[in-house]
Amino acid sequence: MSLSRRMVIVLTSIGIISGALLMAVNLLTKDRIAYNKQKEIEGAIIRVIPGTRASQKIYEEKDFTVYQGEDDQGNLLGFAINTAAAGFQDKILYIFGLNTQLTRINSLYVLGQKETPGLGAKISDQRAFLQFWESKDCDQPLSLRKPAVEKEQLASSEVNTVTGATVSSRAVLTSVNLALEKIKKLKEEGKINIEGGHGG
Amino acid sequence: MELFVIFASSILINNFVLYYFLGICPFLGVSKKIDAAFSMGVAVTFVMALTAVVSWAINHWILIPYKLEYLQIVAFILVIASLVQLVEMFIRKTSPPLYQAMGIYLPLITVNCCIMGLALLASLKEYNFPETVVFGVGAGIGFTIAIVLMAAIREELEMADVPETLKGAGIALIVTGIIALAFLGFSGMIK
Amino acid sequence: MAGRNLWQEFTKGLWLDNPVSRQLLGMCSTLAISNAVINGIAMGLAVSFVLICSSLLVSLVRRIVPNQVRIASYIVIVASFVTIADRFLAAFFPPISKALGPYVPLIVVNCIILGRAEAFASKNSVGRALIDAVGMSAGYIIALLILSSVREILGSGTILGYRVLGTWFEPWIIMILPPGAFITLGILIALAFQIERKVKQRR
Repeated sequence: MSLSRRMVIVLTSIGIISGALLMAVNLLTKDRIAYNKQKEIEGAIIRVIPGTRASQKIYEEKDFTVYQGEDDQGNLLGFAINTAAAGFQDKILYIFGLNTQLTRINSLYVLGQKETPGLGAKISDQRAFLQFWESKDCDQPLSLRKPAVEKEQLASSEVNTVTGATVSSRAVLTSVNLALEKIKKLKEEGKINIEGGHGG
Repeated sequence: MELFVIFASSILINNFVLYYFLGICPFLGVSKKIDAAFSMGVAVTFVMALTAVVSWAINHWILIPYKLEYLQIVAFILVIASLVQLVEMFIRKTSPPLYQAMGIYLPLITVNCCIMGLALLASLKEYNFPETVVFGVGAGIGFTIAIVLMAAIREELEMADVPETLKGAGIALIVTGIIALAFLGFSGMIK
Repeated sequence: MAGRNLWQEFTKGLWLDNPVSRQLLGMCSTLAISNAVINGIAMGLAVSFVLICSSLLVSLVRRIVPNQVRIASYIVIVASFVTIADRFLAAFFPPISKALGPYVPLIVVNCIILGRAEAFASKNSVGRALIDAVGMSAGYIIALLILSSVREILGSGTILGYRVLGTWFEPWIIMILPPGAFITLGILIALAFQIERKVKQRR
């Protein structure tokens, strides 16, 4: 057998065998992987829209996805926005829940971040940052309170800054305000139906 | 503006060597002399730019439409290996002096984590075409800056009194750590 | 390389030819994920899986594959096993997959794997290639364990998530960040070098 023929045969065989093997592995694992991703998002939605039994994605663009949460009777409970903020080092991925009228933030939850450990990374912490996002009025844009005060002393549209992590805190706040503007605009354009179900 | 942010941050804030830990083998191996380092940097940047283009094309025109994302690793590394081979042949034919200057580094680039890292990260971050290219070029420049800096320091270190145990990899890594520390200061520069 | 018995074939990967401290290979992955012991263990196991399987296969086909296409063949073989490891982790250990991120696919350019395939597996019997791979893997895991323990203890005060240093200890955050990785590895390599010198002097 000539050398070039052998080269072609060997390469093609290796290619086919590995292709087949990978295809098999893909078939075996892809459902599990999709399920894991689903679970993660669903878990986050349930956290920020309490009482949710079923959720649907109703709008999607890059780094901005809107879900709606329903109870088991199909009544609309609220919306969740999964978006990203430009953090100190890299993107901060987070999700926050709104009531059906888009006037109140239920809570906020950070899904992924690469901020400085011990400082900016505290934005993932319930006590240091997340608790201040519970039940906030969002008719007007939110603002940061610095230096931090007791939770009871915060105005209904104020959030405490994490000490030593102003940049990360501000990144999230700016992003939330932008997201609020965006979803309100989408509602006006009819793309989101606050009675439940998709719009345009 | 967004493109500029990606460009600048891949050079300074998310430097491929000092933040993503990519390209350490060539970084340590070729940073002993400034001109060698610079040649390697240029070669890497060139291959990065090409890889950015080709990997994006393969990802968006073949892998994603046909749901073959799981073949990404195999596809990317084969593309990179072929590209490097082609670039080497091209340089050897068209410009022997250029080949003399930097041709020997080219085969090393195939296993340079930077290139594969570029393809993977651009895909992970879901950059579009211009973003991927800018990311690639920026990353290459960041690598070049890091490796030339390192070479400059190491040339000085040759004349310094380094303890026997630290010579070579030990002191090189510690110096890299200090440079990385300095670069950390760039974080948060771009809002 | 001649005359090494099977036991020596295995142990060389642990110390004399340790892929991290002596051969200085695979540093990209080592530095990136060594900020916590659990990540170090996961990466070590992933690399071991790919190294052992690839070495086995490369050695198996070493007589069939023509010289000119051997690098391309080895690349496909390694890339396939890396993909398998990556998919497996994403499916069954999602938090670890997330923590290791793009560094699992990057195992394909980890110099240790291609390096062993080219330098050893392609020139030795399947049995020897297997033992070499296991030895190198063990050496790699040990190096990763040491590096990640130092970084996790000093950087977070924990090991595997459990507090080992009391609250009096203010963690050295720098250890979890890139500079800490470089400096720690540099010191460890220097230490290994020093130990080797002392051993040689004593002989």
